[in-house]
Amino acid sequence: MAAVEKRRPAVAPAASFPDSGRPAVSRTAAATESEEDFLRQVGVTEMLRAALLKVLEARPEEPIAFLAHYFENMGLRSPANGGAGEPPGQLLLQQQRLGRALWHLRLAHHSQRTAFNNNVGVAYECLSASGRKKKPGLDGRTYSELLKRICRDGEAPEEVVAPLLHKIQCRDHEAVPLDVFRAGMLTCFVLLEFVARAGALYQLLEDPTLAVADRRVGQAVLDTLEGALQASDGAAVPACFLEAGSRLGPDSLALAMDRALVARRPSSPMTREEFLEKAAALFIAKVKPVG
Amino acid sequence: MLSPERLALPDYEYLAQRHVLTYMEDAVCQLLENKEDISQYGIARFFTEYFNSVCQGTHILFREFSFIQATPHNRASFLRAFWRCFRTVGKNGDLLTMREYHCLLQLLCPDFPLELTQKAARIVLMDDAMDCLMSFSDFLFAFQIQFYYSEFLESVAAIYQDLLAGKNPNTVIVPTSSSGQHRQRPTLGEASMLEGVEASLFYQCLENLCDRHKYSCPPPALVKEVLSNVQRLTFYGFLVALSKHHGINQALGALPDKGDLMHDPAMDEELERLFKSEHGGPGL
Repeated sequence: MAAVEKRRPAVAPAASFPDSGRPAVSRTAAATESEEDFLRQVGVTEMLRAALLKVLEARPEEPIAFLAHYFENMGLRSPANGGAGEPPGQLLLQQQRLGRALWHLRLAHHSQRTAFNNNVGVAYECLSASGRKKKPGLDGRTYSELLKRICRDGEAPEEVVAPLLHKIQCRDHEAVPLDVFRAGMLTCFVLLEFVARAGALYQLLEDPTLAVADRRVGQAVLDTLEGALQASDGAAVPACFLEAGSRLGPDSLALAMDRALVARRPSSPMTREEFLEKAAALFIAKVKPVG
Repeated sequence: MLSPERLALPDYEYLAQRHVLTYMEDAVCQLLENKEDISQYGIARFFTEYFNSVCQGTHILFREFSFIQATPHNRASFLRAFWRCFRTVGKNGDLLTMREYHCLLQLLCPDFPLELTQKAARIVLMDDAMDCLMSFSDFLFAFQIQFYYSEFLESVAAIYQDLLAGKNPNTVIVPTSSSGQHRQRPTLGEASMLEGVEASLFYQCLENLCDRHKYSCPPPALVKEVLSNVQRLTFYGFLVALSKHHGINQALGALPDKGDLMHDPAMDEELERLFKSEHGGPGL
């Protein structure tokens, strides 16, 4: 394997398990050379290097599963499957284009700004490529469909994300430029993460037997959240709001919740949907509408 | 699952945590071994299948021992495969000898070392009567501890010996052997008044071990639990306790709880279907 290792970026794997004991297969120099030739000819070396770089860029939670998916997508583009090995978009149908774009968008977490922006660019190109009946460029309709799909896959309830879509959607036949697309994608992913965290927060508040939270407590949390968001006013980048939200220290939150419970008001339940809707609304209020 | 900190790790550390390079190298090796069968565009397909098989845990079947023990995921996958393949042995209540279990292991891994099977059997049998019969579940859980935590157990054995000899427990102990060196196993029931070592002292040394070493260790909190139930314990007493601890089994994540070992609804369904088709439907 020395031949392949030489071509990789010099990394010294600090392996938890000593890779000792792998059988030292004795090969003649000629055999190794012919293997190296084979690998180079069929493009394996290059393929693996590209894959490894992608893994490092994306830093997925499950790199092995990521690699499986990566090679699967690559296989789909091969001539054996009807593609011509050309850049995606030429022969693919609309749905496949969306799927491909989605895959690119999910490769990197939105906080990895450079990688995320790169992937947004690739996704944009993928969607903008002209087809048989399609003119080049991204139209509002495809853009809206993509947004909806992202939100659906992100498991955010429709009512929760609807206000956001309303704000950032473009008209069906409008052309969507790259920077609008990029901002929209970023906002969408950040919102999904925000909603996920709000959901987790709600789970802490809810009474396990009743599956609802006390309204006073829920409202106290939302108010504290709003306060934290307002503290970050003036920040242009949506991701800063997540930071603000995470600045909700356990102390201030606990105080707010205590105060709420102590106040003598009858309690009523707050459902998860309501909590999420209100939390999302706080975020969406900060988003600039398109156009 | 890796923590969110994975995003900040230096490249080689991130890759090492999941042994990405190990699997990539192995994938290329496998490709070279099968290169006659693969066309140019079959390569992506090949890699897809390879990495999918790694995810599913089937990649270790019939592979050489050095590969099976190369990563924690491989070890866990192998344990799981062994359980799934041979759980019917347990269902019938059959008791097998160490050598018979070793034959089963060799069906899945032709060069599986006998020494490891022997060590596992010793945990169950607690003495040198290697011809004794063992139940499937006893063997399986002892084997899990021995195989998954091999390196850890070697270090523990060294620590145990030192404690027995009365050496200073805070001395740094670096096991120099890999798998070859045999330590004198403490013979039970010898002249000494007190058997084994003091549990709390033992735990202190183990805690240091877990912090220091890079290979897999059982979760320290659970080890503490095991050691807090007794005043003194022997080395094999400790291993038995580890193998029977439900929490440690769950933390490892390869095998189900002891009670669910024979639980196999998919297999039962399949058998039902076969039975019905062979003996005819209810109308006959």
